[in-house]
Amino acid sequence: MLTTNPHLYIRRPSPTTAEFTVTTCPRLTIPLRLALLLILLLRISTITAAITTIYARFFLDPSSPHVQPAASPLSLLIQGDIFPLLTHALYTLHASPAGQFLFSTLEPVPSWALLLSSSAAIYVALFAQLHTTESLLVLRGLGIQTSTGGGGVQRARTRFIPTEKIRDVLINEAFRGFEVRYYLVVVVEGEEDVVVVFPKLLPRKKIVEAVWRGVRGCLFEGEGNGMNGRAEKGHV
Amino acid sequence: MAPTYNIAMVSDFFYPQPGGVESHIYQLSTKLIDRGHKVIVITHNYEGRSGVRYLTNGLKVYHVPFLVIFRSATLPTVFSFFPIFRNIVLRERINIVHGHASLSNFCHEAILHARTMGLRTVFTDHSLFGFADAASILTNKLLKFTLSDVDHVVCVSHTCKENTVLRASLDPLMVSVIPNAVVAENFKPLSYSTSSSSGNHPFTPHHPPPPRPLGPHDIITIVVISRLFYNKGTDLLTAAIPRILENHPNTRFIIAGSGPKAIDLEQMIEQNVLQDRVEMLGSIRHEEVRDVMVRGQIYLHPSLTEAFGTVIVEAASCGLYVVCTQVGGIPEVLPSHMTVFAKPEEDDLVAATGKAIAALRANKVRTELFHEQVKSMYSWENVAIRTERVYNGISGAISEAEFYGYEAANAPSWSATRGRSGVQSFALIDRLKRYYGCGIWAGKLFCLCVIVDYLIFLFLELWWPRERIDICPDWPRKKPGERKDSTFG
Repeated sequence: MLTTNPHLYIRRPSPTTAEFTVTTCPRLTIPLRLALLLILLLRISTITAAITTIYARFFLDPSSPHVQPAASPLSLLIQGDIFPLLTHALYTLHASPAGQFLFSTLEPVPSWALLLSSSAAIYVALFAQLHTTESLLVLRGLGIQTSTGGGGVQRARTRFIPTEKIRDVLINEAFRGFEVRYYLVVVVEGEEDVVVVFPKLLPRKKIVEAVWRGVRGCLFEGEGNGMNGRAEKGHV
Repeated sequence: MAPTYNIAMVSDFFYPQPGGVESHIYQLSTKLIDRGHKVIVITHNYEGRSGVRYLTNGLKVYHVPFLVIFRSATLPTVFSFFPIFRNIVLRERINIVHGHASLSNFCHEAILHARTMGLRTVFTDHSLFGFADAASILTNKLLKFTLSDVDHVVCVSHTCKENTVLRASLDPLMVSVIPNAVVAENFKPLSYSTSSSSGNHPFTPHHPPPPRPLGPHDIITIVVISRLFYNKGTDLLTAAIPRILENHPNTRFIIAGSGPKAIDLEQMIEQNVLQDRVEMLGSIRHEEVRDVMVRGQIYLHPSLTEAFGTVIVEAASCGLYVVCTQVGGIPEVLPSHMTVFAKPEEDDLVAATGKAIAALRANKVRTELFHEQVKSMYSWENVAIRTERVYNGISGAISEAEFYGYEAANAPSWSATRGRSGVQSFALIDRLKRYYGCGIWAGKLFCLCVIVDYLIFLFLELWWPRERIDICPDWPRKKPGERKDSTFG
């Protein structure tokens, strides 16, 4: 329900520009927004809980009582004393009923297992992505930019290919696992390997074909009128 | 309007590797495309060839990445080819799976899976096998397994048909004979004038003038082109050459080809000091065969076993008088006025060659007419038409009576598991019945394999549902009427 099959959005801010986005994210309806908000809260609470657990197990000395910081948290924040502020915040969390419950529940777990599982939880909460979004931006006269990933705290990996470097944009077929897939590639001058567009999602033929037509229309319009769509296919 | 089919040719053997089966598949596919069918070829990957390729006429080739074990045959793993095969078959909307060569594992697997998926299957056998040694027994058992549930079998000669019927215990009615063919344009004799044959005078039949008759002291060159293996009769050749050269002074030999027996030939040449009369060229490419052939007047083919023998057709097409051993499918290949037959033994081969040399010296043989005769006998177009008829027969486009003959159709139960329309039923229980008869243990084992295959099929249908597989756009089909204009040869 939270994800769909890859589908295509086309944005054309101007006649010489087009952005093709393939994403697994469905249309943002109110229930979906609520669900996504819930997931965000879940991520934050998971991270907080994991950090608190690590703090309580490894950094908190039970023999020495916690010293209240001299100043109030607000003044600490203003002064820029991050470390005492963080320690205080973590201790407060630990001392809260929820923190105490977590601490007592995890008491029997050995330290190494606790460390591993907490780190894993933090990693997943930070980097796991619900949706995959990949896009292709075409600017006539400039070139095309592919972008993959993004979302969460990660940045999307982009690659810009200037027009004079583009030899061709075409659809090819290849074996992948136990099937034969269609995929869109950009042949770049002077490079051994072709650049695969939408490498993670590898959308189905319908989408790939629509993008291919759009890219050719936007990039080579005028000079590519006589081109026969079929002639470009598959001759790699 | 004749029905057209989507056909998948499956074999381990295809270009870039050279060979007879490879060129058979290519030529047949080309001509079937010209007749308006859609043809794809599925083979395993070769060095530098992996993935999907188009050949110039729209023939699509899938080089499936697969483990190759021996002489470019793949590892026999009954089921592992199924997922990818199903994907290809569905995306190309294949109706008929046509497997080639009995040593090809891909072909056997494809036929089994195709039947599980409910497709029509044809198998073409290109070779003869023995019955006695262990390897043959194993191959024959495997062949029996595959051919228990195939719709039709095609053999390249009547001898090959007999052999296949015995090896796989088939009903002879479901085996057709469709010989190989040659591209006669590639095998023209030396004196052949191209201007007269290119259609300047379409209504005057082409009769080349008889060449200058051979005098009694002119040199006759005998050509041998074969891989130098035991089964190609190289030992026979080694024994016969000194005697032939001794009996006939003005003769020469040209031997092309390589193999383990080349060393014996070289020893023979040294022992008898025949260096100036026997020329050994080593291995040559297929394009060069014609240029070697036209250097001679007689073609000697000492093979011990041969399913068809395309090379003797090529030799006759080049205008050579053919001396060959009377084995396998060879006697069916050429009319008697083009050939002198010998028993596969030394004395007879020497005698037959002597007869051929004498006939040539006496100018009794009109070798200059051979090319036109071969051209009218063997064409790939004809092979394609006959193969198309097989496709029509198995898919029910022509009636059982027309395809198998009236007696067969009216016989009460000439094949118990055959369906009403004369085509094999796809029901699992009918298929199991066919496999069960293969042997006491083998029958049960085969049934087990078929059941597992069916379960895998069900699993694949669930895991990779059909609607998630993209359909390929077809290459623009030729209309059958267009094929006269086609330039593909």
